[in-house]
Amino acid sequence: MDLFLQFLTNGLVVGVFYALSALGLTLIFGLMRVVNFAHGEFYMLGGVVGWFATTYLGLDFFSGLVLVALAMGGFGWVVDRFLIERVRGQGEEPGILLTIGLSIFLVNITLLAIGPAPLKVTRAITEGPIFLGPVTITKMRLLAMAIGVTLIFGAHAIIHRTRLGSAMRATFQDPMAASLAGIRTKQVYAATFALGCTLSALSGMLLASIYSAQASVGGLVSLKSFVVVILGGMGSFPGAIAGGLLLGVAEALWGGYVATGMVDIIGFLLVILILVLRPQGLFSIRAERA
Amino acid sequence: MYRYVLGCALTAGVAAAGPANAQDSVKIGLVEPLTGSVAYNGKSVVEGAKLAVEQINAKGGVLGKPVELVIEDGQCAPANSVNAVEKLVQKDKVAVLVGAFCSSATAAIMPVAQKYKIPLVTGVSSSAALTEQNNPWFFRAAETDALMAKAFAKILANDLKLKSVAYVGVNDDWGRGGVEEFSRDLSALGVKTALTEYFDHGSTDFFTLLTKLRAAKPDGIFVAAETQDGSILVKQLQEMGVQSKVFGVGSWATADFINLTGDAAEGIYAAVPYVSSVDTPRNQEFVKAYEAKYKVKPGKYGAAGYNALNITAQAIARAGGTDAEAIRTALGKTEYKAPNGEYRFTAKGQAYGFDAVLVRIEGGTPKVVASAPVEAPQ
Repeated sequence: MDLFLQFLTNGLVVGVFYALSALGLTLIFGLMRVVNFAHGEFYMLGGVVGWFATTYLGLDFFSGLVLVALAMGGFGWVVDRFLIERVRGQGEEPGILLTIGLSIFLVNITLLAIGPAPLKVTRAITEGPIFLGPVTITKMRLLAMAIGVTLIFGAHAIIHRTRLGSAMRATFQDPMAASLAGIRTKQVYAATFALGCTLSALSGMLLASIYSAQASVGGLVSLKSFVVVILGGMGSFPGAIAGGLLLGVAEALWGGYVATGMVDIIGFLLVILILVLRPQGLFSIRAERA
Repeated sequence: MYRYVLGCALTAGVAAAGPANAQDSVKIGLVEPLTGSVAYNGKSVVEGAKLAVEQINAKGGVLGKPVELVIEDGQCAPANSVNAVEKLVQKDKVAVLVGAFCSSATAAIMPVAQKYKIPLVTGVSSSAALTEQNNPWFFRAAETDALMAKAFAKILANDLKLKSVAYVGVNDDWGRGGVEEFSRDLSALGVKTALTEYFDHGSTDFFTLLTKLRAAKPDGIFVAAETQDGSILVKQLQEMGVQSKVFGVGSWATADFINLTGDAAEGIYAAVPYVSSVDTPRNQEFVKAYEAKYKVKPGKYGAAGYNALNITAQAIARAGGTDAEAIRTALGKTEYKAPNGEYRFTAKGQAYGFDAVLVRIEGGTPKVVASAPVEAPQ
């Protein structure tokens, strides 16, 4: 029983981390319908910029987070206005090719600039185990979970409670009607892309402080994030949380009771099952597009 | 007419320049992972190799020509490594191949080297099966897991007083090989196996694995992992409050590993074929040159690249030409004085005679606990 509780805790922690790292993709892929293969690279850049801010600029962890948010938000805006905009409305394939190209470009620029070595991001608080009865967890993990949950609810509030959020939802439902109603859709697209990019980068820095940042982590992050978004349902924040937790707990239990060496199999098994039984995902906000 | 003359001159010029260029240097092809999860270690091999080439060329090169290193990225993946080798052989026409890093990638390029009849030297790949394939073109200037296990099993069991050990390895043939060899030799000495688990390259969260490990309560934990995976694993061992003694194979005794792992690295043991703190004149000279060039002390892989290149260049010099067959024969007769002992090859192409060391990380530096020569396998 003690073992089960620890496995469950591990799974929930990793699940929140999965949900967090998939948030940016939920916006960009789920809402904007840009199949963003550079998602993992945005995440990676968040870790790398975080490393730069804490190591070279001497900032503390939280100032580093703010810097990452600003820098990567600006970066996302620029990417949308100068790259994504050129292929908008031409179907999904040009976007796929564009983001694959962008991901290759970003990885190799990072390799060129700072090399392949793993980088250490200074942590917000000193690390050490906390024992809650039979369960062990660390302070940094609890903090990361707290920040993660805040970000998830914050992003949800932006989409559903603000004017910008209403404009976003209107634009993605029907761009023509939205622009006729006076919404500046170009700005809305860029804002959404920038927000998605910021969320990816923030999760990248947060998790890099727990693990480590490295130029080549992007591929695996993209893969897991697509699993989470498809499990949860496109564009749904509750779905991303549920998808992340489901994947995290399933992996932890499979690793705990079967074998840790084959743990990646479980995510794909879940995706196949969900696509067969409930193709729109667990929490799809709409089954069909207008 | 003018055009015709110019055309002739150009053609003649190209024809003359072509072969002359090819003979300008002796080309050695190097395939290492420069991207992907072990890219960081692959880069160290390249650094060591470049230093060796620089030193050789400073002394006039081999066969009176400078040595040219042609580097390709094999990504530690079998398919990419094969592509890299095809390119090196077909386009660059290298005399000798050095690489690839991961055992699975090396296993894939061995038949290619045999097909083109080009000698292949690896300074890293340690899966025991490679030298058992009777590939006459293959030479391994590195330890195997079996040889390391044999050299250190007794020291580990007696000096660390281990009664039970948990084995954790990266899920590829190197990791699985290391776990199997060490568990076999330690079991033969009466050490119980508490647990055997594997994880995938690039894993970041080991809490599930460590939960199982903590429940098994072993005296010692054996880990086969490289810098990136290993440093995260050791950090999380501390975060989980696991107190067992940790010892491992892989690039553990390097400055970067210690920097990444922080104080969680204190007290862990590593069985490595090379550590920069070995106090011999030859090694100190090598460390000085490496540090002057790269501002860091060489680790296991820097030394591996350096040794592999020196062995190759010396064999070409002894062969007296770039004829593949002559180089192969010369490689078999290697007597190379490395920073860490003297390398010779068995008939199967397995190196022996060099020293391996067991180090303990204390105060952020690896201290040599024991050293044992790697003997020729029976």
